[in-house]
Amino acid sequence: MFNLFKKIKQADPIVYLLTAFLLIWSVINIYSASYHEYSNLYIKQIVFVSIAFFIITFLPFLIEYRKFGYISFYLYLISIILLILVKFFGVSILGAKRWINLGFFQLQPSEVAKFSMIIFSAYFISNTKLPLSFKDFLKIMGLSAIPFMLIYSQPDLGSAILVVLPVLVMVFLAKFNIKYIIGFVLTGIILSPFIWTHLKDYQKNRIIAFLNPESDPKGTAYHIIQSKIAIGSGMLTGKGYLQGSQSKYYFLPEQHTDFIYATIGEEWGFVVSFLILTVYFILSLRIFYIGMKINELFGKFLCYGIASIIGFQAFINIAMNVGMAPVVGVPLPFLSYGGTALIMFSLMIMMVLNIEYINKKEGFRFHSQDALNY
Amino acid sequence: MIKFNRITFLIFILTVFYFALVGRLFYLQVIKGEHYREISDRNYIKIFYSNPPRGKIYDRNGVLLAYDVPTYSLIAFPYIVKKNYSMQELKENLKNYLNIELDEKTLNIIEKNLYPSVVIKKDLTQKDIENFYNYNYLFNGFYLEVVPKRVYTEEANYLAHIIGYVGYPSERELKENPNLSPNILVGKAGVEKIYDSLLRGESGQKAVLVDAFGRQKKVLWEKDPRKGNDIYLTIDIRIQKIAFEAFSSSKHPSGAVVLVDPNTYEILASLSYPTYNLQKFYEGFSQEEWKELTENKYKPLMNKVFLGKYPPGSIYKPLVSIAALEEGAITPETRISSGPEFRIGKWVYRNWDKRGCGFINVSEALETSCDTFFYQVGLKLGVENIVKYSKLFGLGEKLNPDLEVKVATIPSKEWKRKVLKQKWFHGDTVNLSIGQGYITITPFDATKIVVPIANGGYVLKPHILKAYFDNKSQRLVHTNPEMIRKINIKKWNLDAVRYGMYLVVYGPSGTAKALKRVPVLNAGKTGTAQVYSYDTRKKRHHAWDFRDHAWFIDYAPYNKPKIAGVVFIEHGESGGKVAAPLMAYILKRIFKEKIIETE
Repeated sequence: MFNLFKKIKQADPIVYLLTAFLLIWSVINIYSASYHEYSNLYIKQIVFVSIAFFIITFLPFLIEYRKFGYISFYLYLISIILLILVKFFGVSILGAKRWINLGFFQLQPSEVAKFSMIIFSAYFISNTKLPLSFKDFLKIMGLSAIPFMLIYSQPDLGSAILVVLPVLVMVFLAKFNIKYIIGFVLTGIILSPFIWTHLKDYQKNRIIAFLNPESDPKGTAYHIIQSKIAIGSGMLTGKGYLQGSQSKYYFLPEQHTDFIYATIGEEWGFVVSFLILTVYFILSLRIFYIGMKINELFGKFLCYGIASIIGFQAFINIAMNVGMAPVVGVPLPFLSYGGTALIMFSLMIMMVLNIEYINKKEGFRFHSQDALNY
Repeated sequence: MIKFNRITFLIFILTVFYFALVGRLFYLQVIKGEHYREISDRNYIKIFYSNPPRGKIYDRNGVLLAYDVPTYSLIAFPYIVKKNYSMQELKENLKNYLNIELDEKTLNIIEKNLYPSVVIKKDLTQKDIENFYNYNYLFNGFYLEVVPKRVYTEEANYLAHIIGYVGYPSERELKENPNLSPNILVGKAGVEKIYDSLLRGESGQKAVLVDAFGRQKKVLWEKDPRKGNDIYLTIDIRIQKIAFEAFSSSKHPSGAVVLVDPNTYEILASLSYPTYNLQKFYEGFSQEEWKELTENKYKPLMNKVFLGKYPPGSIYKPLVSIAALEEGAITPETRISSGPEFRIGKWVYRNWDKRGCGFINVSEALETSCDTFFYQVGLKLGVENIVKYSKLFGLGEKLNPDLEVKVATIPSKEWKRKVLKQKWFHGDTVNLSIGQGYITITPFDATKIVVPIANGGYVLKPHILKAYFDNKSQRLVHTNPEMIRKINIKKWNLDAVRYGMYLVVYGPSGTAKALKRVPVLNAGKTGTAQVYSYDTRKKRHHAWDFRDHAWFIDYAPYNKPKIAGVVFIEHGESGGKVAAPLMAYILKRIFKEKIIETE
């Protein structure tokens, strides 16, 4: 036991403390966001945050991340099975089937898929010849297309994009030929009119609303306008805890999930919204940095994947809140309400701390000749 | 020195995003902060609830029992009120112009802006409303909300326990059901509660954008209220009233009447006596009235039909007879010598009639309610079989869990071992076979004995909802009779028991001759259930709470039953002399007044 505490002291302090900061903030804000709804969401959040603290504090020194690499294909399969199960046994909330009811807890398989996809791609890339060949690129993209389609059809465009985004980042960092990447992007642009016709109506509305918020102040654009007003009216120091009128009086829909950042902005002002944005930025940078230091490919790509999902998901959500991105239904890591996501992000942090700890212990011994080039 | 490779490129992109977002935040919150703060102050949303009328409650023939009338409540929106007035001004204005004393709790809600809206006063008078409109410039942020109030008709008072009452949802109910609004009425007891989901409807919502003075600027969204469905009970209020009058003219202070249609198990009347004024109960009693109600020893607030448990006494004998006949302990012709007493070892079990009954068969045993006959039959049959048939009849089971609250206690060997940690003796079987000892049933359970006898062995699901008018489909939806099981009773066995119950009324030694007054042939069974031994009773000078309970079960007409039921008189002393005349009065009026037609 004493040994374990000695090990805990060696955890990367930046990653650990920033995560802890976000976890504590999540309780404070869920309480505020559900304050007027006769709701006890914050109690559930306290339970999940406690579990999260356990995960990031003790587990990094009790596991061995490489073992997850060996079973990564099974993790991938399990998440596919869960995604199929949700199609049949899922609970419908607001027209989307995203949750499986386990009685005590509603599991969100798309969150599980995000994490398992990162582990699986990192393992796949670390076990192929680098730079990534076109054939391997097709393989990994094909494998990530399955969860993408399953989540997209829930429908949940936001999560579907976030399952593929870290894979694309990893592929990019695996020095996949830049010509192909440009080609890939161009194809996307050419295909976009085709994709447009296949988007659901509410998704089209959200994009139109984003491009021109005043077009439909009552419908979808309403969220964007109200969110901007909420954040803006927070001014420098905010209206005070629990005093947000925008969020408290039902202007903001989904204020404890996708629009939690607007609640923060309104009640705490620029000072804290800037601080939180910066925390995500530094956390993501730090994980990228850990990945760069490490010369073992699996751990390295895991860090890249995790850093990119935390950074990009936070930025997309915040951009959505401040009216710089369309409303695609992306929750804010750690802060939005949602047990599955919170646990999954904590497991990612656990992984990063474990990678850093084990490689430091092994003295950054070489696993791959030119790993440091990636 | 930083090498420019792919990872640094990616970090560069992330950094660009970061600064873009920081810039955006700075722009929104610092540069344009004032502007947005102003919008947010102006931009105040209010949600008005419109509470739809709750469904009406009718009896089976459409006699109105409960309905809603609108009343007006004064609502304040703290956020706006706070901006316009100091707390001192607010208190003074309310006091001077509307004569309302604001209590500390409400003041605190407004001052700290704890809820989006708060009720200041309910049930405004016409004058209050006029004053509010005349001085409305003093009341920015105040609104009148229509709140339905429940009204129970005079007839409904006969049915107080069954109807139950309504009230505003508790914090817990609001939490559990997001569709509830704070000012909608929800059922708290009785059919108001059981059928709340049918009756309640859904409140409408109107979200309105208002300015700092509370002026409406724009309707943001609107959800129409949905009216509750009207329901029709199986109760016939005329029968219910007769049952009530039977009690109120009899001077018996406490008891219950349940009358059902044995073919469908529709509950036609369910009276727990004494009863209380429904409207007053809902609007709130004075402290004195409340004290009188709760301390009254005849327990007017308790629905004895479903909540009271009493020993059944001899009304249990028809059930024991069927068990004995079906299990072959006796046949309809079996004659048993039934003297004035029956002995097991040194224990003596007496017949209620010291003369004994003679050499009789089961029908005659029912006629005179011969205890010594049933002692012997019960012993031969065994406790297991008595318990088996009690269960088949539905005793100890909730045939309709919505209605029934308590279940009968039917003692068995296991029951006695588990609950009393004692061995079962033959004496216990002897007692059980005449409905005494550890057995207790509710008055409603008594109908479970008589209904299958009347309808030929069908155990049905008792129900009280005849139909409801579905607002969505604009159709009347009926409740169909539901069979739970059929007890297989051979015709000649059933006939022997029915004939015995016929003799109770018409036989030369019948115990309930009062029922001869009923204009149709009927069959019944008396029950006088001992609560305390004779010696104790005598010692207590036959005080009310030491007397025997009086029971009477009956069904009519004898050949084609259309009504069956029970009269129970708490500590009424004699089934034959007290409960039977009450049943006779009720049935006589039902058939005389042609409430139930006979061909």
